[in-house]
Amino acid sequence: MSRNSLGVLVAALAALALLGYSRFGAGDYGAFMIMLICVNVLAAASLRFVMLVGELNVATVAFYGIGAYVSAIATVWYELPLAVSLIAAGLAGALVSILFGYVTLRTKGAYFLLVSFAFAEVVRLLYTRIEAIGGNSGMTGIFPAEPLAPWYPAITVAVSLALLAGVYGLEQSILGTVFRAIRNNDSVVQSVGLNVLAAKIFCLAVASFVAGVAGALHAHANNVISPGDFSFLVAVFALAYVKIGGEKHLLGAVMGAVFLTVLGQYLISLGAQEAIFFGGALVLGMLILPNGLYGLAERLARPLLGALVRTLPGNGAKRSTAA
Amino acid sequence: MSGPAESAVPVLKAQGLRRRFGGLVAVADVSFEIWPNEILGLIGPNGAGKSTIFNLLSGYFRPHNGRLTFLGDDITGRTPSEISRKGLVRTFQHDSLLRDMSVYDNILVATVSSLRDRKARHRRVEETADLLDLTDVLGEEASNLPHGHQRMLGVAIAVATRPKLLCLDECLTGLNLTEVGRALGFIRRIRDEFGMAILFVEHNMRAVMQVCDRILVLHHGLLLAEGTPDQVSRDPKVLEAYLGSRR
Repeated sequence: MSRNSLGVLVAALAALALLGYSRFGAGDYGAFMIMLICVNVLAAASLRFVMLVGELNVATVAFYGIGAYVSAIATVWYELPLAVSLIAAGLAGALVSILFGYVTLRTKGAYFLLVSFAFAEVVRLLYTRIEAIGGNSGMTGIFPAEPLAPWYPAITVAVSLALLAGVYGLEQSILGTVFRAIRNNDSVVQSVGLNVLAAKIFCLAVASFVAGVAGALHAHANNVISPGDFSFLVAVFALAYVKIGGEKHLLGAVMGAVFLTVLGQYLISLGAQEAIFFGGALVLGMLILPNGLYGLAERLARPLLGALVRTLPGNGAKRSTAA
Repeated sequence: MSGPAESAVPVLKAQGLRRRFGGLVAVADVSFEIWPNEILGLIGPNGAGKSTIFNLLSGYFRPHNGRLTFLGDDITGRTPSEISRKGLVRTFQHDSLLRDMSVYDNILVATVSSLRDRKARHRRVEETADLLDLTDVLGEEASNLPHGHQRMLGVAIAVATRPKLLCLDECLTGLNLTEVGRALGFIRRIRDEFGMAILFVEHNMRAVMQVCDRILVLHHGLLLAEGTPDQVSRDPKVLEAYLGSRR
């Protein structure tokens, strides 16, 4: 068996175990933690996906918020099924991001960062001004329909894993290569006949679909949303997840989100301001672990895995096929 | 060598090109043609307008005046990627690489707009690398390559699109004598193998004289002279522009 298919098998088993645990084993607090982690992982994955083309997209939180509100409206006002509500949230995020990206992705670097920050704040202020969606106090009573409720944590895990698999697949495809090329040198990418703006918009749309679904998952986990949930700090936290976890690999974003979410919850229970800690963690992480938790894991795991593979019967001579 | 006499349709026809930057007229009024299979040199002192012409042809700048016709189509004002898809592809003087990607991926990106099939793209990358002697370094990160290989990778990226007209912007800068000789060999081979026309901007006069079929001399945004390497190198106006006037 090749190392790849072994990896897929292990990942699938772990996913099943996680699904089962979140449905039957976790208890209320555990289930809530799992959902919180899933939402944060998706926010980090969305932010990181746009980082593939080299942009820091603070507006991730805008699409996250739009997804949350759209799904809340679908569930509370129209009593639509959860699946419809989630998909509507993702599509709404993607659609708005296409309009936003068409105008703004002609800029890059600091300019795009500022524009995306401004957009995130404008969208947040809009929520507070629209009475129909609750203004400053937001929306309440966002519950998944009754028969689904006990399954909701497991559904959150399943949806998150599916989205992660989706963005990972895209990143590994030729499209991911084009994205990285744009980050490196967009003039060269234009010179070989590729439409840089279109590729960037597509990248943003995919990321915003993920952010929109994450917002919907958050809304149904929390049952209450308000404009305060969607300040630019959400994007800053997502950046912390990506940087602490390591941006080289999607797993880094996942590791960072899991680690910092768990730690953040622990700190809240101590009465500490998690935001202060996040800033410190970001600085420390960059100094000590430039490649993040993923880089550390990779460094530790490589010799361990190598030793493990060599001890397996019959594997000693087949190192070339495993590599 | 096919010249104007044999084939009536030029690959590229530039008529009355003009481009200003504020008060500075970088290209005043330039017209020329490039014929199939031809290696055309474009030379001139620093600031003569060579790079501006390159940016005009490839769509990175819009001309303020004039018209560009490529294989019979008007391409004036088209975007760089549209022009590239039609078959006019340029290299860059500086910063012509995807620095933190592998040589393989650098060339691979250039095949995406013309080839859908994965195997075809792979074959194109290998062919192109072979042509420019990059096969041994396909797995290396572009920024780790020695300078000579980096220059040739810049050319390989453009060649991998299999253009009809390849515009090379000072691709020999910083190469030593042996490397220049080999690079000129590659350029001839590319022309012969694919029948590309090549526009060659270069400061290295010996190289230009060796490889070009015809040469345009640019000075202060205007064409100063045009002809075979032999004619140009004996033209008193050219000597004056390069060496200063004889008193």
